[in-house]
Amino acid sequence: MQPNTVDTNWINQIFAPLHNPQLLQNIFGYSTKEPWFFTEFSFLAVFGVFLIFYAALVQKNTWRKLYIIAFSLFFYYKSSGPFLGLFALMIVSDYLFALAIQKSQGTRKKLLLWLSLSYSLSFLLYFKYANFFIQNCNELLSTQFTQQDLFLPIGISFYTFQSISYLMDVYRNEIPATKNVSDYAFYMTFFPHLVAGPIVRAKDFLPQIFTPQIINASLYKESLLRIITGLLKKLFIADYLGKYVDIVHELPSNFSGGENLLAMYAYSFQIYFDFSGYSDIAIGIALMLGYRLKENFDNPYAATNITVFWRKWHISLSSWLRDYIYIPLGGNRKGEFNTYLFLLITMLVGGFWHGADWRFMFWGLAHGLALAFHKAWKQLFPNPKNQWYSQFLSTLLTFNFVAFCWIFFRATSFGSAFASIEQIAFHTQWKDFTGFWLSRQEMGILLSIAAVIAFFPPNLKERFFQKLQILPTFTWIIWTLIALQIIIQFKDDVVQPFIYFQF
Amino acid sequence: MNGEGNSDPSTPKNPSPWLIVWAGLSICLPVLLLYIYSCSSQTIQIAGFELKQILGNQDIDAMLAELDEPELPSTINNTSTTNPQTNTESNVLAMGDDSTPSFINQANKKPFSLPAYELPVFADTTKHRILLIGDSESGGLRYPLNDYCLSNGHKLVLSLEWYSATTFNFGRSDTIQKIIAKYKPTYIFLVFGLNELYARDLKARKIAANQLAKKLRGIPYAWIGPANWDEDHGINKVFQSSADSATYFLTKKLTLTRAGDGRHPDVQGYRVWMDSIAGWLQTSARYKMAMKPPRKRGRPFRAPIITINAAKYRGY
Repeated sequence: MQPNTVDTNWINQIFAPLHNPQLLQNIFGYSTKEPWFFTEFSFLAVFGVFLIFYAALVQKNTWRKLYIIAFSLFFYYKSSGPFLGLFALMIVSDYLFALAIQKSQGTRKKLLLWLSLSYSLSFLLYFKYANFFIQNCNELLSTQFTQQDLFLPIGISFYTFQSISYLMDVYRNEIPATKNVSDYAFYMTFFPHLVAGPIVRAKDFLPQIFTPQIINASLYKESLLRIITGLLKKLFIADYLGKYVDIVHELPSNFSGGENLLAMYAYSFQIYFDFSGYSDIAIGIALMLGYRLKENFDNPYAATNITVFWRKWHISLSSWLRDYIYIPLGGNRKGEFNTYLFLLITMLVGGFWHGADWRFMFWGLAHGLALAFHKAWKQLFPNPKNQWYSQFLSTLLTFNFVAFCWIFFRATSFGSAFASIEQIAFHTQWKDFTGFWLSRQEMGILLSIAAVIAFFPPNLKERFFQKLQILPTFTWIIWTLIALQIIIQFKDDVVQPFIYFQF
Repeated sequence: MNGEGNSDPSTPKNPSPWLIVWAGLSICLPVLLLYIYSCSSQTIQIAGFELKQILGNQDIDAMLAELDEPELPSTINNTSTTNPQTNTESNVLAMGDDSTPSFINQANKKPFSLPAYELPVFADTTKHRILLIGDSESGGLRYPLNDYCLSNGHKLVLSLEWYSATTFNFGRSDTIQKIIAKYKPTYIFLVFGLNELYARDLKARKIAANQLAKKLRGIPYAWIGPANWDEDHGINKVFQSSADSATYFLTKKLTLTRAGDGRHPDVQGYRVWMDSIAGWLQTSARYKMAMKPPRKRGRPFRAPIITINAAKYRGY
């Protein structure tokens, strides 16, 4: 969908890409500059064609599975190129490890588990954290190790966590190891969740391989609606808010306190709409193929406390951290002090998972402390008032705490984060907001829309979507056409990559 | 889970695979239709609103390529039409010594801001090819500058408006060199800094400002400081120290009327600003130029314009 100059011979223009000598390279090749996103219209077109052929294979288990695996591998190749080989290697080795773990007992089983986990984690540690360790080692010990020029394979953080969950579930005898490597490959490579989650659990997903949902009219409408909603969330709201956030975070000290404060809120909404938009598209695409992925967000900013927030935000990650770090560490079974300690450790790991930077650790630590504080608070005041005003104040407090922590997440450095906080704390005046409104009215309106959607009562949201689904099936092509045209019309010139692609 | 095979009885039968075909069509058909429409010369309008994809990525090179080739002079225009006998005194002031170009004078270094019509009119009438580069302020200043150019025989060859830009954008990118190479200006106006009033990392900005000053070497220029709407944290001092002597116009001393946003000058503010710059250019600037007050204001602006949004474009 390239922008065009007016050309009288427009039919030639339609077929111009076919005459491009680089056509095959563009379709099948991998370019670091143009990885495939769900927001690419080329992806949507190819996915549409993929679906048409899928219809022919949908009732043939093996072929359907192989067809999806092949497309998923192609999708991954378009995103990460040669790292496809690494991914394939990881799949095969996990599959073999899981079989070996299942057949073993006692210490041998435990050893195999540790070996397999270390093996899986080694890729992530190398590609994502090697430079971080080298840099810190050089700074602390005055060593002279050279930093590596490493490309982070897209989605490695997500599929490594999936692989760990599978190996641990097999170890705990919660699921049997897959007998066929293609079953495991299907689970790992399934393209809707491949590059940025949701982190799917084997025990939820593997049973679906041979019993996908029946694709009826209601499922079809639901899936299309999810895809369109996700595209609108990402391209309409997140990308535009991101423009303002980028300007301010380039140098926060350039901007007044009020502008920094609004950038903090803008980023809170940007990351929510970006990632929940991605999750909507992923869930919608999977649903169209007959597979249901678990929800990843559940109105997180409406949470009344930080513990509830973490049950509603990036659910697949927070539940993963709970099940594979917090509970194995001891959870709340080893005394009060240890419970708080385990919470902190879990959230530190969660922060570190997001990126090899102390800022993410700090972000995780802040959330860990808040969770521990809330736990202690609950013990002191076990019966909180459920009046509307106390609920309102708790929601406001929770949201502002979360938004404040996002500053460390978004800032380019600690210095930049503290500069932003300094501006907010000491240089905020009322005129900043009037100035913002006068000079960036569109952004003000968008910020208000984002806030209304984020805090909109979930039951009303659901009712609204149910109303939309009443529309007759045959009209959905027209609705999609209109929605896509609106998206094209209003989306930013440069579509930003999904934020979670970098994690 | 182990029900491998094509004839697995547990496999639920889809009521109609045609629904999946329909699903595929409902995605790829709209995309195809929109693609064809974007290629066509037809444009659908709804209530005067044009339905078409408007912009692609902002590519400076492509933008430059799209503009018509600039009309370059056969020799760079440096001839004065002034009658030396009637303007001797002014020319002596302007000429300096024999080896110095006529518009270079180092006598006065301090800019000041009286309206042009109160000042003696400078005699050098060299016709310049003027390039205007700046942030959003340049978008407002271009109109009164255009009036001055038309009245004094100068040609405004291009207005590059880089919204939200800072010294880093101008100093680190090679955009300015590219434009200079293409348009061969004989005089450059730089107008920016409004986005940097609160900047505290002055050291980094100083480096970028020096880089920018290097790019301008060999071409006369006027570096116009930002129209401060609030006290800055030293960006004016940074610019002043990076610019050659008497090439920096300290706008912050002016009192300008402001637009609704409280930051940018309004139409009247831009006019007063330009009048002050014109006065300075004729009398005190290092690179002087003829800038008589225009007889007619608000004349049509015909020079090409390039707009870039720094928030989108990472040109460095």
